Amino acid sequence: MKRRAYGAVVAVAALLASAACSASHTDDSATQAGARQRTVRPVEGCGAKSWTDPANLSPTRAPARCDSGAPAPKPLPKTRKLTIATGTLSAEYVAPLEVALDKGEFKKEGLDVTLKVLPTPDALPLLAKGDIDALWAAPEAAVMNGIRGGFDIKWVAGNFSPAAGSKSGLWVRLKKGESAASVPMAGRTLGTMIGKGSVIAYPMQKALASHGGGLDRIQYRQLGSADVLTALRNGGVDSAWLLDPVWRNVDGKPGYAFLGGQPQGEPLGGMLYGRSLLNGDVDAGVALLRAYIRTVNTYFASDYKADAAFVTYLAKLLKTDGTILKSTPSLRMDWEIRAGTTTRLQSAYAAQGAVQGGDPLPEAKTVDRSLYEEAVGHTP
Amino acid sequence: MTTIAPKKEPERESVLVRRPGPEELHPSRTHRRRRALQLALAVAVPLVLLLWWQLAAAQGWIDDRVYPAPSTILSDGWDRAAAGDLWPDVWATLKRVLAGYALGTAAGYLLGLLMGSLSLVRAALEPLLDALYVVPKLALLPIFLNMFGLGEGPQIALVATTVFFFVWISTMSAVIAIPSGHRDAGRVFGASPWQMFRHVLLPASLPSVLVGARIAAGVAVLVIVASEQIAATNGLGHLIFDSRALFQNDVMFVGIVCVAVLGVLFSELIRLLGRLLTPWAPRDRGRGQS
Repeated sequence: MKRRAYGAVVAVAALLASAACSASHTDDSATQAGARQRTVRPVEGCGAKSWTDPANLSPTRAPARCDSGAPAPKPLPKTRKLTIATGTLSAEYVAPLEVALDKGEFKKEGLDVTLKVLPTPDALPLLAKGDIDALWAAPEAAVMNGIRGGFDIKWVAGNFSPAAGSKSGLWVRLKKGESAASVPMAGRTLGTMIGKGSVIAYPMQKALASHGGGLDRIQYRQLGSADVLTALRNGGVDSAWLLDPVWRNVDGKPGYAFLGGQPQGEPLGGMLYGRSLLNGDVDAGVALLRAYIRTVNTYFASDYKADAAFVTYLAKLLKTDGTILKSTPSLRMDWEIRAGTTTRLQSAYAAQGAVQGGDPLPEAKTVDRSLYEEAVGHTP
Repeated sequence: MTTIAPKKEPERESVLVRRPGPEELHPSRTHRRRRALQLALAVAVPLVLLLWWQLAAAQGWIDDRVYPAPSTILSDGWDRAAAGDLWPDVWATLKRVLAGYALGTAAGYLLGLLMGSLSLVRAALEPLLDALYVVPKLALLPIFLNMFGLGEGPQIALVATTVFFFVWISTMSAVIAIPSGHRDAGRVFGASPWQMFRHVLLPASLPSVLVGARIAAGVAVLVIVASEQIAATNGLGHLIFDSRALFQNDVMFVGIVCVAVLGVLFSELIRLLGRLLTPWAPRDRGRGQS
């Protein structure tokens, strides 16, 4: 009897072991056979200014724009339910989505959109598996690791770049004899609420490198949002990455210097699609971007904070303080993606040790501009 | 053992005959077989589960990009260990656990001894410590962060506090439970306080204390992993949650396996220590064998 039991265990083990050595999971990108063939037609109200060359990295580049109200909606034959995850609903960069929802721009396209608050680490596996359709975030290190792991996720639209007057970025406490032009950053401490593998690693690396530092040559102190400024002021850290509108507290004060922030004219975040909109229902994917682009053209085309009534409306929509919203310049909303951004981001992630080894992923695997180009009628 | 009732015969009284079982006939062989079976089960059950997991990943029943196969985890763990990437985190966690454990055990034992021996001290401190005992220890982390700042202090303090309560309670109850006759005997022989501790309290309380210390060993690992997620820049807890945030599922599982191994080794070490320190106590031979 006992011998039979032992035999059964050995047989099960052998069976499982042999079966385990056979098939393996196929990755999403492998199953995606060939490129999509879609017809792109010119769109009324979206002329030559509705597209800019991705290779143009000039900080003064005017972002692409169509006329207000363009591109016109093209309702889907049947209403499509879409879930978009976002890390927050109160940040200014989420405003175009919330305005689009509030003004019925998604509905005009036949989309029933739900915005779901989910931190990126929680949302990413759901996007990868197709449980949510899109993610309003950024091509962070986690996204690159997911793509490298075989998930079909792509960055399909940008969000914003900072206005010329913005000083959100790396601030340092000056020591005796130092000035903004000469601050050796190597070996100094940096306080930030932004975690490892965030897109901010790229501008951080850029700002540090221009002052003799680097992500691998400084000491991090990850702090809560309320503690970053306090730590910089009381000397707990030598430098800090200050976000909007916190930098206002040290701007113009002696003993502090601004070393650099997010590059102008280069969005570092926006919309990420999973396989459901990249391959399953491309029409819905284009419709979602069309509604987003139309919202930007209609409500966020230029200095939207010049309109006090609109700022009040935004503050109510975002459930934030109007005075805080007014205290910083308007963001430059920009749905386009610059060439090489993901390569530069991966280089910064590698310096942080936040991405798995190997060569950086090529842009063809991480970015898809064809959906926003189709929405504005641009033929490559 | 088999019990049979012989055929009834009206004229004879009914007799119950008990045949000896294998335990009685071949005690050492039966014991050996039982031990072998227990050992086989202890190895086979986890092995079959692991193979099942491997099979599910290989056949695509589960998404191996989200739940990597055991072979992937093993190979990734091996690579990280060989490259020296894993050891700094293991060492950081181990240091915190050992330091906190030593402090918590010493404090818990001393206070437990004191409170178990002196009823007035017990009356003064027991309600307060009972109230603190029920507070989730992780909730104390912000207070320790304020007290000790960033660094190793808050982590060690958290482990020490967690361990303290387990050891304190088991020591106090063990000392209270010592029969009064034992103390009386000590007094009759004119034992000094040190002799009373050395020859009466320590031998009588140590087995129970070590049971508490063994439970505390597992909980110490559990607490440090949760704490490292919140307030550390290294350690296995940090590795697990950092790799989750970076969508590196294989690394996350490597961290989880390391924590499990660390917990088992630490707990077994305390058990071994207990055996050496209390040879008079009933032998705890381990899971499935005790």
